[in-house]
Parts: sequence; C-alpha cells; structure tokens
Amino acid sequence: MVSTDVGVWIAAFFTIVATSYAFRDNIFFRFAEYTFIGAAAGHAIVMGAKNVVLYGWTHIVGGEPSYWIPIILGILIYTRYHPQYYWIYRYPIAFLVGIGVGISIRGAIHADFVKQIAATAKPLIATTPLGTLNNIIVFVGTITALTHFIFTYEGIHRGAAGWIPRIGRWMMLAAFGGAFGNTIMTRFSMYQGRIIFLLRDWLGIIH
Amino acid sequence: MSAWEKLAALPREIVLTIVLIAMIVPAIRPFGLPIMVGKMSKDWYNTVDSLPEGSIVLFDIGFGSGGYPTLGPCAVAALHQMFEKHLKIIIMATALEGSMMYPLIMEKVKPEKNYGAVYGKDYVFLGYIAGAQTAMAAVLGDIHTAVKEDYYGTPIDQIPLLKEVKGPESYDLVAYLTTDGGIAEGWVYQAYSRYKLTVVGGFLSMMTPSLKPYYDAGALKGILDGIKGAADMEYMTHHPGDALRATDILSATQTIVLIFIAIGNISYWGARLSKKEGES
Repeated sequence: MVSTDVGVWIAAFFTIVATSYAFRDNIFFRFAEYTFIGAAAGHAIVMGAKNVVLYGWTHIVGGEPSYWIPIILGILIYTRYHPQYYWIYRYPIAFLVGIGVGISIRGAIHADFVKQIAATAKPLIATTPLGTLNNIIVFVGTITALTHFIFTYEGIHRGAAGWIPRIGRWMMLAAFGGAFGNTIMTRFSMYQGRIIFLLRDWLGIIH
Repeated sequence: MSAWEKLAALPREIVLTIVLIAMIVPAIRPFGLPIMVGKMSKDWYNTVDSLPEGSIVLFDIGFGSGGYPTLGPCAVAALHQMFEKHLKIIIMATALEGSMMYPLIMEKVKPEKNYGAVYGKDYVFLGYIAGAQTAMAAVLGDIHTAVKEDYYGTPIDQIPLLKEVKGPESYDLVAYLTTDGGIAEGWVYQAYSRYKLTVVGGFLSMMTPSLKPYYDAGALKGILDGIKGAADMEYMTHHPGDALRATDILSATQTIVLIFIAIGNISYWGARLSKKEGES
C-alpha cells in the first residue's frame, strides 16, 4: 500500500529527482541539490552553536574561566576576513594544528609504522598454504612497490633490475583495481538503500 | 562509426536503466543466493561474543544519512548482538549527523522491548561530540570532564552506567562505524595504540583496502566491510534485515557491471583491431 506519510513522499520525491541527474541535468535535480546544501548547512550551524554552548559556555558559567581561552582562539579565526589584522588567524590555526598533530602522532607512529613493519616482516611460511601464498604476495608487493618510489637512483628503473619496480607497479595497479571494485560496490550499496525505501516505505510493494 | 565503436559508445541512459532494473527485480523477487560469512565479520562477531555479560562497550556512530544505507544495517545488527549479550553500551557520534541516525537505528533495535534494557543503566547516548581525535582522546581519557550531559540533557553524574566508567581501562571494547577515513584511523590511534583497548571497526567497502592493514596487524580485531559485513552480521545474529535483502541486489548489479566492463573491453579491442586491418 502506498504510504500516506507526507515525510515519506518528500523523501521519495528527493530520491527520484536526485537520481534523475544520472540521466540528464535538470531543474528538479538542482532544486534537490540546493535544498540538501541548505538543510545540511543549517544543521551544521545549529550543531556548531550547540557545541559552543555545551563544551564552552556551560564550563564558563560553571566557574571554569580557562574555557575563555578556546573561545577567544575560536573568535580570532574570523580575523582572516579583516584586511589589516588577517594575520592573527594564524595563531589559532597553529594552535589547532599543534594539538591535532600532538594527539595523533604517537598513535600514528605505533599503528602506521611499528605495527605495519612488524606485520610485514613475519615468516613467509604460514600454517596454511593459502596463508603462505598471502605472506609471499605481501612480502614481494611491499619490497617491489617501495622500489618503485626510489627516485634518487635511476639505475633501479632502467638497469638490469628494472623488473623489480615494474612488478611493484603491477602490484599497485592490482590494488587500485581492488579499490575501484570496492568503490563500485559502495556506491551501489548506498543506492540500493534508496531503492528498498522507494519500493517498501513509499510504494509498499515489498515488505 | 563501426559496430565496435557504436557498442563502446552505448548511451549512459541505457546503461543506467539496465542497472536500475537489475536493482529493482531482485528487490521484489529475491533470488535467495547463499551467504558466505567473511572472516573479518566473523572476527567482529567472535570478539563481541567473547565479552562477559556487563562489559562496557564504547560504540561510535560515525556516519550520516549518506552512509546510513550501508552502515545503518551494520549498526542495527551489531547492537542486536551487544544487547543480546547484555553488554553495557555507551553510544556517541563523531559524525555531525550521527545524532540523527541514532533514533533510526534504535527504532529497529528496540532495546527496551526486545531485551528489557534500561536507558541510563544498560545504554546511554551522548550525542555528537565535536573534535574527531580530540573528542576520542577526551572521551577515552576522562569522560566525566569531556562530557557534561547526555544527548537528552541529563547530567552524566546522574547516569548510573557512566558512574562505572573510571578511565580508559573501564572500556572492554571500542566499536565504531564510520564513513570518514580520519575517524577510522583515529580510533586505532587513540583506543588501540594509546590505551591498548580492543577495537573493532566498520566502514564503507571503498575504505576497506586502505584500512585492512590495521586488521592484518592486529590493531583491529574485526571489520564490518560495508553492506557485505552488515549482511554477515544479520546472518550470524539471526536478525535478517535490509543488508541480507541487499545482497541479491548487489549480486545482480555487480554482474551487470562485470558484463559492461567486458563489453567495453571487447569493443575497445575490436575497434582497434578493425582499425589496424583497415590501415593495412
């Protein structure tokens, strides 16, 4: 049974007009696009204001004056629109970058370097034949792909060892192919959600 | 224009119409193709399954409406398993729209009705917490300083579940679902690298190739790989939903894509060959 809910009809309308762009650009699609941008911007502004109140103002009125520091730094970001004092915005940005790097670098070194090197440098022989094959592919792929990025010594690309970076290139192309396949699956899995919505929630064809 | 070139220049309207039909037909009449549960999903399931009753889980909804068709079913199936196991779940959102996804997910899980869970005692929702990795570090480090109230405005010192959280060691598991690569890496950096917590992650399939090395290295104990991961979880938890229905749709559309890739390659090589023959 077709839905009688106005909200469902609005969602169905926007789903259909958003899809119509895949066939040809049209005024209905642009209407949907602008509506989405407006709604998303409105939501972001409301959430931003809520965050300032929740994580800043609440603390200040609760007797924690140190919270004025991030609020002042936040306000200083807007000086970039002033022709004379625009340089001041670099200080809050420097603060943000410093905090961001400081928080993530320790974890990044451990998870992205130490753990990855340890995971790559494991014995080639695994408990199963498939595991052994995987380990060999990882080992060969890592070494050859790394040689592809040696730019300081031309001989590695043109000399007798030129096949090593070439294998690395093929390894990377295979990885890009895998990533592309996953991207297609992701896009379709996003759209199938809308198809199910149209057929079930809107038209009531499926249950 | 040769027949090969005409084939290569197939109008996109025709391609899209065929793809749409390939989506609609299995949605109406499912083929019922068998499911092969992946190892990464099984590891997520087993990690949660191994937790004793009453363990505390930090669950992050790191996606908005764009990611909902893929990660929404993941969240529903994952929460079904967690509530069934009587785990205590602290839910937060690192995505701005995450707060809007929470009621859509809970509407399907129905923790009070299905599992007799009590809000505040068995689960709590903190809402969106701004700051990405800064927020993660703050919530893991000292939740009582980072968050003053839950999503509904209740002060957190009045929420029994949060009284049990003393520090990072209180969390038995960190589980997250996200469409953002920075958030996906952030939980590994903050929860695993910094506090050595058990972490499981779910993301869009297109993100999996770049994040799977964390799973291979043992930083992530399990992965839900997009809609496939969601279907696996629905199958394992015996809560069939949108993801299991989607598997037939995806099988049909992926087959169509494979056929079009083959047609594109055949027409390309055919056109090249006939051009060479014409020149000679």
